[in-house]
Amino acid sequence: MLPNRWVSHFVYAGAWLALALLAGIWLGNPAWWLVGALVLYLAVTLRNLYYLDRALEKGAPVPPATRGLWAELFSIVVRLRSKSRKRRKRYRRLVREVRQSTRALHDGGIILNPHNEILWCNRAAVRLLGLNLATDVGHRIDNLIRNPDFVSHLENPGGDSVSIPSPALEGGQLSVQIIPYGKNQRLAIIRDITREVRLERTRRDFVANASHELRSPLTVIGGYLDALAHDSDLNRDWRTPIAEMERQVSRMTRILRDLIELTRLESSHEEAPRDFIDVVGMLKFIEREFVSGLRTPRISVHFGTDFALLGSEAEVHSIFHNLLSNAVRFTPPEGSVDVRWERSENGAVFSVRDTGIGIPDELVPRVTERFFRVDPGRSRELGGTGLGLAIVKHALQRHGASLGIESEVGEGSLFVCRFPDSRLVARGGPARAVG
Amino acid sequence: MEVESISQHTSRRFNKDLEGIHNLVLNMGGLVEDQFDRAIRAIAEADSELGLSVAESDHQVNEMEVRIDDECRRVLATRAPTAGDLRLIVAAMKTITELERIGDEAEKIGELASRLATVKRPSTNFRELRNLARHVKGMIRDALDAYARLDVQQGLEVMKADKVVDEEYEAIYRQSLTFMLEDPRTITREMDLSWAARALERIGDHTKNICEHAIYMAHGTDIRHSSLTNVESEVSQAGIVKEAAR
Repeated sequence: MLPNRWVSHFVYAGAWLALALLAGIWLGNPAWWLVGALVLYLAVTLRNLYYLDRALEKGAPVPPATRGLWAELFSIVVRLRSKSRKRRKRYRRLVREVRQSTRALHDGGIILNPHNEILWCNRAAVRLLGLNLATDVGHRIDNLIRNPDFVSHLENPGGDSVSIPSPALEGGQLSVQIIPYGKNQRLAIIRDITREVRLERTRRDFVANASHELRSPLTVIGGYLDALAHDSDLNRDWRTPIAEMERQVSRMTRILRDLIELTRLESSHEEAPRDFIDVVGMLKFIEREFVSGLRTPRISVHFGTDFALLGSEAEVHSIFHNLLSNAVRFTPPEGSVDVRWERSENGAVFSVRDTGIGIPDELVPRVTERFFRVDPGRSRELGGTGLGLAIVKHALQRHGASLGIESEVGEGSLFVCRFPDSRLVARGGPARAVG
Repeated sequence: MEVESISQHTSRRFNKDLEGIHNLVLNMGGLVEDQFDRAIRAIAEADSELGLSVAESDHQVNEMEVRIDDECRRVLATRAPTAGDLRLIVAAMKTITELERIGDEAEKIGELASRLATVKRPSTNFRELRNLARHVKGMIRDALDAYARLDVQQGLEVMKADKVVDEEYEAIYRQSLTFMLEDPRTITREMDLSWAARALERIGDHTKNICEHAIYMAHGTDIRHSSLTNVESEVSQAGIVKEAAR
């Protein structure tokens, strides 16, 4: 169906030609009359086409005082033009607002293309990273921010953010996260974490200093209590309180020792050293310590491999010892504790399975928190410090290992440490590692 | 193209090779910057473990140098580059030598740091040395930035800053001598200290050389062994010539 304006146009044009033809028949020479009418029609059409062209290309004003089809076409042009002008205005305002709001952000943002070239960045990014908006757009970001941690994060984005020193701010610390989006585009978010890092360090230093300061008075008290307990002249009524005091002092000493150990683990960002550790020997040694205890459950140790670990001897000992002592503590004497050291697909696994009281599902993720206890009264009574699993977690992290926990209330628990292949070595090992 | 001097080539592989070399050099620069940072931190925080770990990880820098060297030789042999491309490769080969030497000096500082961590420190905690280190750190960063951006102006500024570093080294050296004369018990410590300052001063010189290579890459003018004022006028002339040629 033709639109109305075309129908009426054809009607007008037909009428015009018919009029010319009639005039021709009336006055003679109808062919010339017809040609003249067509030429006029063509001239009007060409003139309007010319105006349309100008209007579309240069936005020139449309001619006034035309009627019919052409008038309607021109009014469409005018309508479209004002629509697009409005739309452009709206987009410009939107872009300006987005720019302004990102500029106001305290976090830096950089848009990267698939070749890691900078497409755009906001003012905070300029300030935090020392970029130069005028010259650096189009440069590869890893040429300008050369920190090795950042570069490797750029190559494998996803996962946690990385923390790098700020190239521009003295003593500043930044956290950078790369977020992929769209078609191979990437957004880098840069956050200033100088204050957080400083606060965290203050907190750690405080705990470490407090623990150290508390240790010496405690040693003095412990010494006197020890002397008192063995004093035969002591009044009989005092025996029990003094024995109790001695127990509490030794518990406090243990807590302080664990706290100091934990802050030490937390404060070292470096990976654990790679000393040669004979796991089989170490486990046998630890087992002996527990088997000799009174009222302990049956302990069986199973070796599926004799591979050794490359790590920090003290920390690995602390991992094994803490897990085993936890298992023994929460398992009744008639239960059993099953310790295994085995190869897995891409590493080795140390696991401790007990038939103890177990941990409720919803509390499993929280057991590695400091001083978290499933059953506060009971575990304190059993002599735990509440820091064992936190130490295990941090020590494992330093070895690139992970901790898995499965548990069923009343059935028992399974603690699994997965060590990566890079930390394993066949027994006998490389000559340099021995000793 | 992120590197302007890399002209478009019919062979895209060639372009990629050149870009790859440029990026590898800067990656190596990042590694060296990190080494340097940690060495300085080891001194400031009396962390002997950190100092030793810097000394032990120098091999990464060396491996990187060998890798880039191989890559440069391969491109030279297979592509026979000319003009700007040739300059890029020559500058890369020279720059990685400087970077490797900076890495060696950082290793030295790391060792000294682990030794200095065990002795009694002066109440200022080596403030002069830390100041010098901060200057040198800024120089390394600016030099590599100039190399990345082909920014001649920044390069020239780094070369000027080297003068300050030389003066600071001189001051530390004199101060150490005074300490040693006053109290012979400090001799071991002060010797280590002036060795560390000496290493920093050397790093400053290597950094300056990197800037020279960067300017050579950008402009094709060899500005080694000429005074700074000469260099500036030469570079600006070259700049004008370049503008006119466009």
